[in-house]
Amino acid sequence: MAQEVDVTQEGAATTAPSETKGSGLDLIDLTKIFPGGTVAVADFNLHVEHGEYVVLLGPSGCGKTTTLRMIGGHEHPTSGDIVLDGESLLGLPPDRRPTTTVFQHFALLPHRTVLENVEFGLKMHRVPKEERRRQAFEALAMVGLDELADRKPRALSGGQQQRVALARVLVTKPKALLLDEPLGDLDRLLQLRMRVELRNLQRELGLMFIHVTHNQEESLSMADRIVVMNDGRIQQIADPLTIATRPKTELVARFMGDNNIVRGRIAERDGERLILEDEHHVRVSVRAPDDAAKVGDEVLVAIRAASVEVEEDDSGPVGVNSAECEIVFVEFLGDLVKLHLSAGGERMLAKVPGERYPSLRGKEGEKIRISWKEEDVRLLHS
Amino acid sequence: MSGSSTPDGAPLLDVGEIERAEEIVQQHPERALGEEAAAGKGRGWITAAWALPGFAWLGFYLVAPLVFIVLVSFWTYQQGAKSGFVSDWTLSNYTELFNDRTYWNNMLTSFLTSVIAVAACLVFGFPVAYFLALKVNSLRNQIALFILALAPFWTSFLTRSVAWTYPLMGREGALNQLLEKIGIVDEPIAQLGFSNLSVRLAMIQLYILFMITPLFFTLAQVDRAALEAARDLGANWFRSFREVILPQTMPGIVIGSIFVFVLTMGEYGTVRVIGGNAVSSVGTIVNSKVELAVQYPQGAASAVLLVLALIAGVLVITRFSNLREEL
Repeated sequence: MAQEVDVTQEGAATTAPSETKGSGLDLIDLTKIFPGGTVAVADFNLHVEHGEYVVLLGPSGCGKTTTLRMIGGHEHPTSGDIVLDGESLLGLPPDRRPTTTVFQHFALLPHRTVLENVEFGLKMHRVPKEERRRQAFEALAMVGLDELADRKPRALSGGQQQRVALARVLVTKPKALLLDEPLGDLDRLLQLRMRVELRNLQRELGLMFIHVTHNQEESLSMADRIVVMNDGRIQQIADPLTIATRPKTELVARFMGDNNIVRGRIAERDGERLILEDEHHVRVSVRAPDDAAKVGDEVLVAIRAASVEVEEDDSGPVGVNSAECEIVFVEFLGDLVKLHLSAGGERMLAKVPGERYPSLRGKEGEKIRISWKEEDVRLLHS
Repeated sequence: MSGSSTPDGAPLLDVGEIERAEEIVQQHPERALGEEAAAGKGRGWITAAWALPGFAWLGFYLVAPLVFIVLVSFWTYQQGAKSGFVSDWTLSNYTELFNDRTYWNNMLTSFLTSVIAVAACLVFGFPVAYFLALKVNSLRNQIALFILALAPFWTSFLTRSVAWTYPLMGREGALNQLLEKIGIVDEPIAQLGFSNLSVRLAMIQLYILFMITPLFFTLAQVDRAALEAARDLGANWFRSFREVILPQTMPGIVIGSIFVFVLTMGEYGTVRVIGGNAVSSVGTIVNSKVELAVQYPQGAASAVLLVLALIAGVLVITRFSNLREEL
């Protein structure tokens, strides 16, 4: 199913500093099957460059955390290989891998002070006391916590604990930093702030970050590349813009949200252009140069809610790429308005600027005409 | 408000009113409290009433005997007197004890037995508790294995102890026969039965559960994520054990050690059954003074010293962990 999907990095705008062979992290046919037969990760292939920020995104149970844990050495792959700078990490325990992890709930050592927590990695690597103290304070200063060095973790707020966890891994100068839902325990405003801070920090350090999250917005705002996963398999690997605007599979389109997914049969084929019609007679055209679909085949397309426009003029006949809809619900979200619509039974979603709210408020039950452009329609693979 | 802020230095508040308020409180204390607080105070008395039978029980069976023993230890032994003593104050029971080498030898043996038992229970019990708490993944299996570990409690103490003496550890017992068969020894080892060795082995087996149980419960609460983090930051198994598991398990180690120390130091039954007449302890001495010689005052004095030794031991053990902060 997912293997059929071409997962080359179409439109990927990676930082890709060099193509030196044997540099960066390679996950090769990585597979994890848990005792009992649950396939957590299947045939996972990914190359990550040094300095690149990669986000593994997917619903819970999709295998993203298991993948991260295999890189860190906390889980053993059933088959496949993990290669960092040309050397396999398989068989190395976590303490001997050049990777460190920011754990989901920070996992600070409860009996140690902030300073001792940050020093811990250096102490384990037998760095002399004076030197490790200096480096620990440097790292604490970097995250703005040098004044709380003597506190115990439980006397810190969630955001502060998070920064201690960051300082603690940064002092060990890992080749790859692994982050397991690093912002999950923070409240929303702090989350938004930390996205920027974390991304800036990564750029300044030039480190490879591999970040696991189920939050679409977070992945879009932080990643150089996003790996969307489901059921242990890669659905799509691409830069955030591509993931957001050109989903490859139905799953990516649904998971990223705010996509109108229309299922219909091909009514016409005109060279590279397909015109399909769904059961509610909504007609959509899409360009599909490499697709072999024939007239009569059932296909899926996605139309981004943000590219759906409300037509002022609804006098002419309803043509291709437009629809007559009834407003089901007007959802005001400040900067924008989500219009929940019904096109003869087909549920549609349109996102329009927030300024238009006054003219739409209370219009539930009324008819409007919507339209979209052909280039905003994507053919999906099931 | 009249006189609330007069410019000519008058009080900000009418003192007369305070006096009236104090009067009311003196006459009706319940009005000083809010209605809820008053109700809460009432409930406090009810709670105390619930605890009363417990207090009475403790008072009658624990505090009173202790007080009584301390008193008797300062009274004078007199043959023919009722109960064998009269209430004349004396220090002679203690001075005699302090000069009694046998008593101190026994105290030392008992102390050594306890230290050995605590150490052995810790060394043998820790891996068991560690395995149960951290290696067995399903809670169901954990509980099942834990109950299995408690199995020795299911058989009577006396049955097991008797089995230990002749059939297992005796001169002609199973262990000696086995050792002879394999060819490890030519002659049966006499020390296996009715010796300090056999008493100590029996005590380790008897009391190891008092170590495993608190260890199991503290180990089960060890923050596994912190353990993973330690490994991740470069700690090998041994160092992550020392840096993460040990500090978090300290309360369990302390409580288990107190249990085993206190229970073995004052042991009487095991020593009598397993050790026979060959082994004596502080417990057997106290008993022999009371039972055989009817020397109540001396027996009481030796018991008081035992209690003091126990308290000292417990105080030393608690120095290893700040229980109040940890629990």
